[in-house]
Amino acid sequence: MEIPVRGYDSELSLRDLLSGISEDRLGAVMSVLLDSKFRVVAENGDLIAGETIAFNEASNRISLSYDLESVGYLETISTEKIDEAKLRAAVNLLQLLMKSGARYFMASEMHIEVVKSDYEELQRKHAALLESESRYKALAEQLDERVKEQVKMIDSAQRQLYQAEKMASIGQLAAGVAHEINNPIGFIKSNLSAAQSYVKKCRSMADLVKSEGGEKLVNAWKTADLDFVLNDFDALLQESISGSDRVARIVADLKGFSNVDQAEEESVNLNDNIRSVCNVAANQISSQAEIVLELGELPMLRCFPGQLNQVFLNLLLNAAQAMKTRGEIRIKTNFSNGKIGIQIADTGSGIPAEALPRIFDPFFTTRDVGQGTGLGLTVSRDVIMAHGGFLEVASEIGVGTTVTIYLPVVE
Amino acid sequence: MAEFDEINRKITIKLVYYGPAMSGKTTNVMQLHDMLAPDLKGEIMTLETQNDRTLFFDLLPLGFRTQSGWLIKFKLYTVPGQVVHDATRKAVLSRADGVVFVADSQRSQGINNSESFQNLEDNARRVGLDFDVLPLVVQFNKRDLPHILSETEIQDRWSAAPWPLVFASALVGTGVKESFIKLLEAVYPALNKAFSLQETHQIGMSAFIRAVVGEPDGNPG
Repeated sequence: MEIPVRGYDSELSLRDLLSGISEDRLGAVMSVLLDSKFRVVAENGDLIAGETIAFNEASNRISLSYDLESVGYLETISTEKIDEAKLRAAVNLLQLLMKSGARYFMASEMHIEVVKSDYEELQRKHAALLESESRYKALAEQLDERVKEQVKMIDSAQRQLYQAEKMASIGQLAAGVAHEINNPIGFIKSNLSAAQSYVKKCRSMADLVKSEGGEKLVNAWKTADLDFVLNDFDALLQESISGSDRVARIVADLKGFSNVDQAEEESVNLNDNIRSVCNVAANQISSQAEIVLELGELPMLRCFPGQLNQVFLNLLLNAAQAMKTRGEIRIKTNFSNGKIGIQIADTGSGIPAEALPRIFDPFFTTRDVGQGTGLGLTVSRDVIMAHGGFLEVASEIGVGTTVTIYLPVVE
Repeated sequence: MAEFDEINRKITIKLVYYGPAMSGKTTNVMQLHDMLAPDLKGEIMTLETQNDRTLFFDLLPLGFRTQSGWLIKFKLYTVPGQVVHDATRKAVLSRADGVVFVADSQRSQGINNSESFQNLEDNARRVGLDFDVLPLVVQFNKRDLPHILSETEIQDRWSAAPWPLVFASALVGTGVKESFIKLLEAVYPALNKAFSLQETHQIGMSAFIRAVVGEPDGNPG
């Protein structure tokens, strides 16, 4: 509630000056003192105490003054003879009361004024405090945001570094292995071909030995079962050739994989990359799962194939490791709405719902110490995002996990 | 600004004694009460004292009646000097027509004086008084004490200031009336301009001052 302020220095009326004093009691005191009918009236005629009806002839009318001026009168009826000393005493008493009233009035008005001004000052300070508080709050929020941003930056830099190092070392290893195997596998293959032609030559001798040869020679031929040997030898060599072909293909894939550190973009058909990655991973995976490829028609994609290979490998190995018993990893590719979709679905143990929101967090892993870095999915997501795409993960405990990669194809 | 009451034919003028704590503002007013003999003189009202220190203000009413029947009334206030009572000082200063700044001449009080003077300037602005035109007299009080600034030092320091300087010892009574008269001289022109004291009421400056101070009105001015 607003307290009206009159001002401690405003002009005071007789009513103001006697405002704290009960009219009845003042009247009672005055009648005893004066022993007569009386009236106390203000300058403007307001009755303050005493007789309600004005006296006909107010011969005794003494001015009551306050602050240099008359503010009212004490009146008594002229017909009643009143002791002058008593009258003066009554006036003095009234003036004392007035002075005390004035002191009270001024003190209280001043108090209100001061309190009000102090309150306003407090309000002003409060407003200023609120403002500075909100400023600091905003600053703190900004700071928090910047710290988060920095942490994010450091995280991603760390991951990139880790990835780059990993890629480089894998690339080097793969390149080294491929180079070392390439040479021996070359001569083994050519030797096997030569051996095959030698077997053919031997076989051409068989009929001649059996028809023209002496009994001893034919018996020895039969004892040694050389007909079978020659057939089996051929088969063995054929098998070895296809085996070395397989090794050669692995070497070729490894070489392709070793290109991970190449910085340039390339236009590739991702189906080829997937096949190559499957071949590389086949050894690690074959004991746990069967890989089923359902590769659809894909357009060429400009990308960093080495990085995407790493993603596919990560996801394949994750899928394989999710297997409690031997299962199946189904890789599907398709192209729709300008996006290549690559779905890698396993029949593994699935990811618990509470872990699902965290799987992309750096260094989050459910594997035993030393078994996983917790960076596979993080790096994978980064790579996919760097290619403008995104990842989706759906998982059900005991049923399996499906990771779907979407990569936009830019014309 | 002075109050002009046409109905009761009254002009009320508010004068304020301002200054640091214990510089002698109340003593000034008490001395004036004893020294002056104007037509009308009220009692000093003190609100409230606490260990002889002014808590709210002191008030001395003075006045005289012009021949035209007008009441010219002066209310002399003192402010509480202690720093904590700033809101009270501000309230007392509001609507003032003139100020006597009572400074303490003691060497140790220099900072208090200047802080209080700065406070006067700040508060004048806060209550809407134009400090540049506000009638002001600067009184250096307590000249009777040892370890005080010399008059030359004070005059040097205040040489650039436009206000009259008065040296006083309120306790003894010297310089008190002089300060008051200097203030009346500074206040008169504004009052005359506002209320045509000279034209309407035939009160020149000297008559005005004599009437307030209470000296015989030998030669109306």
